[in-house]
Amino acid sequence: MKRAHVAAAGLIALGAAGPLAAQGYRVRLDTRVLSASYRGLEEDSIPAGQAVTGAGSGLVTPDGYAVSCLAGMTFCRYFRAGPKRSGLPWTAGADATLWGFGVTGLSVRMQARAASDLRSEADGEWPGADPTVQLLEAYAELARPSFTARAGRQTEVGRLGFQGFDGGRVAFRQPDRGLEAVVFGGWGLARGIAVPVTSPALNPLDDFQPRDRQLLVGAGASWSHALADLRGEWRHAVDPGSSHTVEHRAALSATVRPLARVRLSGGAEYDFANAWWGTADAALTYYDSRLTATAEIRRYRPFFDLWTIWGAFSPVPHRTVGGSVAVLVRPWLTLDGRVEQYRYDDAEAEAPLAQTEDDGWRMRVGGRVRVNDAWSLDGGYRYERGVGSAERNIEGGVIWRSGDRVTLRAEVAALIRPLELRFSESHARWYALSGDLSLGPRWRLASDLVWVDESRERPDAAAVSWDQLRVSTRLVLTLGSDADRLPPGRRRPRVDQTAP
Amino acid sequence: MNTRSVISAALLLGLGLAGAALALRQDGFDHVEHQNLFPSCTSCHAGAEEAGAPLWPTATDCATCHDGTVEERVTWTAPRETPASNLRFAHLVHRDSVAARLPADSAPPECAQCHATEAGEPMRVTRGDPAPCLSCHARAADHLAVADTACATCHVTLAEARGITEARIKDFPAPPSHARPGYVGSGQHGREAASPVRFAGQTQVAASCATCHARDFCTDCHVDAPETASIRALAADARSLAIARALEAPPSHAAAGFGGQHGGPAKASPRSCATCHTQESCTVCHVAPATRTVMAMHASGPGRGAGAVLERQPPSSHVLGFADRHAQVASAEEKSCSTCHVRTECLDCHRPDPGSGSQFHGANFLARHPTAAYNRETTCADCHNAGQFCSTCHLQSGLTAGRPLGTGAKYHDAKTSFLFGHGEAARRTLESCVSCHTERDCLPCHSSFGGRRFNPHGPGFNPERLQKRNPEMCRACHGLQIPRRP
Repeated sequence: MKRAHVAAAGLIALGAAGPLAAQGYRVRLDTRVLSASYRGLEEDSIPAGQAVTGAGSGLVTPDGYAVSCLAGMTFCRYFRAGPKRSGLPWTAGADATLWGFGVTGLSVRMQARAASDLRSEADGEWPGADPTVQLLEAYAELARPSFTARAGRQTEVGRLGFQGFDGGRVAFRQPDRGLEAVVFGGWGLARGIAVPVTSPALNPLDDFQPRDRQLLVGAGASWSHALADLRGEWRHAVDPGSSHTVEHRAALSATVRPLARVRLSGGAEYDFANAWWGTADAALTYYDSRLTATAEIRRYRPFFDLWTIWGAFSPVPHRTVGGSVAVLVRPWLTLDGRVEQYRYDDAEAEAPLAQTEDDGWRMRVGGRVRVNDAWSLDGGYRYERGVGSAERNIEGGVIWRSGDRVTLRAEVAALIRPLELRFSESHARWYALSGDLSLGPRWRLASDLVWVDESRERPDAAAVSWDQLRVSTRLVLTLGSDADRLPPGRRRPRVDQTAP
Repeated sequence: MNTRSVISAALLLGLGLAGAALALRQDGFDHVEHQNLFPSCTSCHAGAEEAGAPLWPTATDCATCHDGTVEERVTWTAPRETPASNLRFAHLVHRDSVAARLPADSAPPECAQCHATEAGEPMRVTRGDPAPCLSCHARAADHLAVADTACATCHVTLAEARGITEARIKDFPAPPSHARPGYVGSGQHGREAASPVRFAGQTQVAASCATCHARDFCTDCHVDAPETASIRALAADARSLAIARALEAPPSHAAAGFGGQHGGPAKASPRSCATCHTQESCTVCHVAPATRTVMAMHASGPGRGAGAVLERQPPSSHVLGFADRHAQVASAEEKSCSTCHVRTECLDCHRPDPGSGSQFHGANFLARHPTAAYNRETTCADCHNAGQFCSTCHLQSGLTAGRPLGTGAKYHDAKTSFLFGHGEAARRTLESCVSCHTERDCLPCHSSFGGRRFNPHGPGFNPERLQKRNPEMCRACHGLQIPRRP
């Protein structure tokens, strides 16, 4: 039995045993399995003498692959279709919240996941299946009207990202004034995953990696009012070995409601280490019962921790101007659209041999038709002409629902995606079937089947097929004590809809 | 006129005549035909005047004349029981009560006052007309617009009128008040139902309601039926459900942004909400832990109406593309998010499961992710670790650089000599670059240790600041010989 199985069994046992000690609990056990097969590229070579001149006057292999022959090298290199690969990632997760320990406001929360590629191959497991066990969150919380204290593995959510850490967090609040202040600190986790930055799983290419986990401290303050919500946050992470800064940023977020039906939201990040502004945005939204329209400006600049060298490579931001609109044309018909234009700042690295686009735009229009309570249709068209790559994508789907119990969806999509930096125009057709079945109040079963028929257009033999078949199944069991779960609402034929 | 039209017209005419004949037979006794035979109504209807006497004549009385000799025999029989009605009228009681109010020398009310269709023709009779009743009891108001207390003068409650069928109840005429805008939704009917008359220490339901309605009718909608005195005061009667009913949202619910701002009013006046909303109605959207206001609502159960059956509706901000931009709102209004979302939902996407299908991006995102990622439709790094997620997959797909740049196959072959001019693309989309490349690929050219020493620093680079914050980053390329800006 693989380690993952043992870990999963342990997690499930923990989830099942936990409630015995608490008077109130909610547990979700979740297991998924995905079967996928795909084919990538593989680098190959031929002796330089075997390369021949192709139709476009470039050098190719005898069977038509364009090759790269460097002066002085005895071999010419090229990409051909790689071997067919397959993966069977299986995960088991447990998500438990326990309370009622005799102390008012005390609760314990834990969410963990075990993952393994059941069909792992010699040269690597399915992305995300390593490490085998991930503890996403596990903390004890004491919540009182004026404060909330939390200790353990947790995540801090804000404009600066979804930051995980092992440590403590205290939030003080004055509910009548809408004020809240937060301080937290501990040992940080890596970005986008619940493992430390020292984990080998984060370094598949075997390159730079910090030796120690970063120490993280942060603070935030917020004010909430009927007219506005404001929030400021600050984070500082240091390498404990050298005391050097890994991250030092602050951000401000705001939502203002100056008029009925109007909302202005936005914010900005500032990077103290690089002394520059990071991502920022502002959006003005008008909304009523039939129309929502938003005008938006955005500036995006990536952030890199200082244990990498990438921040010193001066990533430049791009600026976006756009808007979106959603209209309830009829009670059964919704139309929406979104368009934005973006332009990169001057990178100050223009080279005549490899000039690239510096601006682009993207748009999407779509609609949904509710035929009746059971059937609905949706569809959309997406277009992008931009830097690095572009796309034209049309998609549509039909959904059938039977109350809250069964949802079935079928969808198709067609995509053309040319790349700017490689001879490769992808033509993909996508067919998907998915179903979601509620097996009573506790069990839920979901499944997807996706077939991607994707080919690449190239002037040489490297126009390989990237077809994929993916089948996934998910089973969820939710348990809860009566103290928390309210009795199910009595369903009846709808007399009138009073939803606001 | 063709044959078909003639036949159709004949059929219609025949049906009409048959209907008319049936209508004429409804009464069964032709009073006008007999008007000269009987000196008074009480000759046959003695019960209207005499206690203990029958209200109807007997078949023997008819046979006095209709004996087959003087007149042909008839088969008329008196009704076995009084027709089903919700009238509380009784002739003798009414006579005595009127007599008690009138001066002693006044004549008692005559039958014709209620039953004659035209003045002076006492035997041209009809069923009792409410108009004469109203002339005394309701000061000439329209029947359905009488004062609330006036209904009970003539009518018993629906529950007491056991003989009335659901078909008749369904066709009860509605008073004009019921057509007023907001009569249901703004609580007018509730205020009118709460009778100012208190009996035995309890508020009683208005008599006008009880005439046509019973508790079942109210309970079908009212969640707070057990707590509402005027509903409790009504008798239970399932026949009352024959009358059509519909929940109507109060005007406040139509206000812009009500969905996001109803918390304040609900907190201030939970009883008002509890009229139509159960706890379950709230928890369709409000996730645990339930707020005090939610817990103050009644849980659904026997004796309570289902109330407003809601569907979870996303707020106005959740339009096309909101998922990609939700951090804007979530950063400033975290509490607002936690009204409907629990932490598990955040983690499902922000810490994606390798076995998951397409829960966030949609089914066909895999094919289009290079485009979306290259120009960052959204921030990928909030949910995906470039090393663990992007690089691992690109490595297995053969998309990472397997050897020093410039010595392998050309992947970026659409640009002539891309390697020598990649700086512009790299500074623009460095995150995309590092999903396939590592520092090792760049340092041979961009570090002090390599032979070429191409300066990678560009706009915004602040060497003093970075060196002060983290000199190790500088040492990766410069070793201990970190240059100083002149």
